[in-house]
Amino acid sequence: MTKLRKVALVALIALFSVSMVFAEGAKEASADGKVTLRVLNYIDMSEPNSANEVALVWDKFSAENPDIEIIREDLFNEPFHQKTESYVASGNVPDVLYMWPSGRSTSLHTTGSVQDLRPWLERDGLLDSFSAPSLAGQAGGYLGELPNGVTSSHIMFANTKLLADNGLAMPETLDDLIAMVDVLAPKGIQVIAMDNMDSWVMQSCLFSLVVGRYGAADWYDRLAAGEIKFTDDWFVKALEAIDTLYAKGVISRASLNSPYGNCRGEFAAGKAAFLIDGDWAAAAFMEDITTGKALLSREQQANDFEMVVFPALPGEVVSNTTSGVVGTGWGMSADLEMGTPKAEAAWRLIKYLQGEYVQEYRLSTGASFPSNLNVDVAKVIEEKNLEPFIGKRAEFYNTYGTTPVIDGVLHSDVYNIINVGLQEIGLGAKTPATVAAEVQKAWEAWAASNI
Amino acid sequence: MSDKEKAQRAGVNGEITLGDVKNEKKIRRKELTSKGEEKLAYWTLVLPGFLIYFAVMAFPTLFSFILSISNYYRGGQLFGPKAVDFKLVGFGSYAKVFQDEYFYVALKNNFKIVLISVFGQIPLGFILAYILNRGLVKFTGFFQTVIYLPCVISTVVIGILFKSFFSPTGAWPEVIRIFNPAYQPTVNANPMASVLLVILWMYTGTYLLIFIANLQKIDSSIIEAAKIDGASEFQALRYIILPALSGVIVTSAILAISGSLKSFDLIYVMTGGGPANRTTVLSIFMYDKAFKGAPNYALANAISTIMVIISFLLIGLTKLAEKKFGGKE
Repeated sequence: MTKLRKVALVALIALFSVSMVFAEGAKEASADGKVTLRVLNYIDMSEPNSANEVALVWDKFSAENPDIEIIREDLFNEPFHQKTESYVASGNVPDVLYMWPSGRSTSLHTTGSVQDLRPWLERDGLLDSFSAPSLAGQAGGYLGELPNGVTSSHIMFANTKLLADNGLAMPETLDDLIAMVDVLAPKGIQVIAMDNMDSWVMQSCLFSLVVGRYGAADWYDRLAAGEIKFTDDWFVKALEAIDTLYAKGVISRASLNSPYGNCRGEFAAGKAAFLIDGDWAAAAFMEDITTGKALLSREQQANDFEMVVFPALPGEVVSNTTSGVVGTGWGMSADLEMGTPKAEAAWRLIKYLQGEYVQEYRLSTGASFPSNLNVDVAKVIEEKNLEPFIGKRAEFYNTYGTTPVIDGVLHSDVYNIINVGLQEIGLGAKTPATVAAEVQKAWEAWAASNI
Repeated sequence: MSDKEKAQRAGVNGEITLGDVKNEKKIRRKELTSKGEEKLAYWTLVLPGFLIYFAVMAFPTLFSFILSISNYYRGGQLFGPKAVDFKLVGFGSYAKVFQDEYFYVALKNNFKIVLISVFGQIPLGFILAYILNRGLVKFTGFFQTVIYLPCVISTVVIGILFKSFFSPTGAWPEVIRIFNPAYQPTVNANPMASVLLVILWMYTGTYLLIFIANLQKIDSSIIEAAKIDGASEFQALRYIILPALSGVIVTSAILAISGSLKSFDLIYVMTGGGPANRTTVLSIFMYDKAFKGAPNYALANAISTIMVIISFLLIGLTKLAEKKFGGKE
């Protein structure tokens, strides 16, 4: 063997040795019997109490379960979704992961990267412990994640004191809202505050509701059956409504430069009469338990602010609805086999995360509304003296009907076109008819290979 | 013929002895060994670099091209029991890229960045370096630090800073209200302008530093001699300094162009490419196709391959420019 070959051989051996060290990954169980779980967690950095979750949820679990070691990755917003896609592409998803029932987590469901959790619930006799809607099939047709609850992707937070101070009543129609512009704009007050820089916000928090109002609750089923098209009146009218909101100044075009979470402070400070966001935004106004400070005090929450839905639209076919979807929750890697120590540890963690303690904690911070039926919402609110927004949120769910959230039922190849199209309308660069035609084209392309 | 015979025969003529023949052989063998050692040394030095280059540059580029013409749309494992059904399907992804209107928006934005880098950062960097080097202002150390400061701050920090600065509730609308109290923020008709402004501010310091270092190399006595001969400040700049820096200017242009194509982090943090993809660039466009919603890795790799081709074209152009204008130091 020549010297050159010897050198090459040594280099290769060294390279492979180093690779093996890094490629070894986490073992199923260590010598001391500890099981290691890799967890991908979502922490909402726009909520004041999100950081406390580490001590109150995760550290508590570790203290109660010394035989399980958790390697946790905390991410938020886009980086979270992009990391999820990378995991799916690599075929190496974490053992337990936070996920959506569809939308941005569609790949996890459709590639079978996570497993059906229904057999686990059945095995442990827990099927009756969760609300029936929360256990419905998800993007992959099975229970890919055990949800925290059912989410309303739309709430119109109203500053009733500001309205009264300006001689305005709660709007009942779109025209009422438009009429407010002349009263509030000269005073530098926006009618509706939104953060539309991220393209999903308009689609998820307002447009889904508008589509539901014109297309009714079963619009997706009729679309999939080929009975209606995106170029039909129901969808074009919905796009026109958004166009009108921008054109009349009800929603400022400047909101397209506003990053998500930015305008909540402005709304709380009385710079806007309404804020449109998802139900999760309620948490942003509540008390930070570490500092005792809140964007809205208990008195303000009780007396000066309400949670309602967008007022009636001209020609709507259903009224007083919001847009809703099964909430986020926890899934388990499909690689874990029931009965193995790792799978059992992962299931123990999921049961804990959707158990009474964590769901009560999430309720108290406003993060989500429980899917676990053992959590008595009214009792918890009273016993823990929770903030008025929690009670108002419970009332909101009981008051309004629900239609689907667009990214909860459509594939991203289609809803991404809607998201960008809504921004194009906001910029005044495309007409509703043009956007409708583009969405129909994307839908046909997707449906051709998937329906 | 044996060595002995050779020596005997040669000895008749009294020219070569047995010892000479043996010595010659030894020398030849030594020469051969030296050549072998040279070869070994050559490969020992070249191979690690070549392997690293192949692993991190050539292989990913080739692999990316292969993925771009494959059916690897949704990802998955390429090897092992759960491997996807991998097939080469042709150039359909490239056709899709060229049919996408936002590809051209991204391409245009990339060229805007190239332009602001070459015709903004470099001239500005040079002017500032010239002013500081010639001592045309006081506190040169202070100004040098201030101008270079953005280069040492994390890009993500700068992105977040300007995202807040330009937001409708940020400092920018308040600044305008000083001059126009009735101002109400509206959507920017050209959102890329604010991004370009930040890019100009952020990287001018790098060129300032390059030019100052090279200006300091020019013998000040040459400029003084020219001044004694009656040359004005502009003439000294035009006929002495600029020709001396021509090579540096071309090198800076190459740096600016290659840096412009890599633009990602600042824009991703500042605008995410929005609104409606108006501030997107090729790298963000590629990233979105790979990671936003259900992925399309074939499409993302097609964009990546197009970026490599554009890079080669631009490098070719700068090489031509270098041949024509460079190396006159």
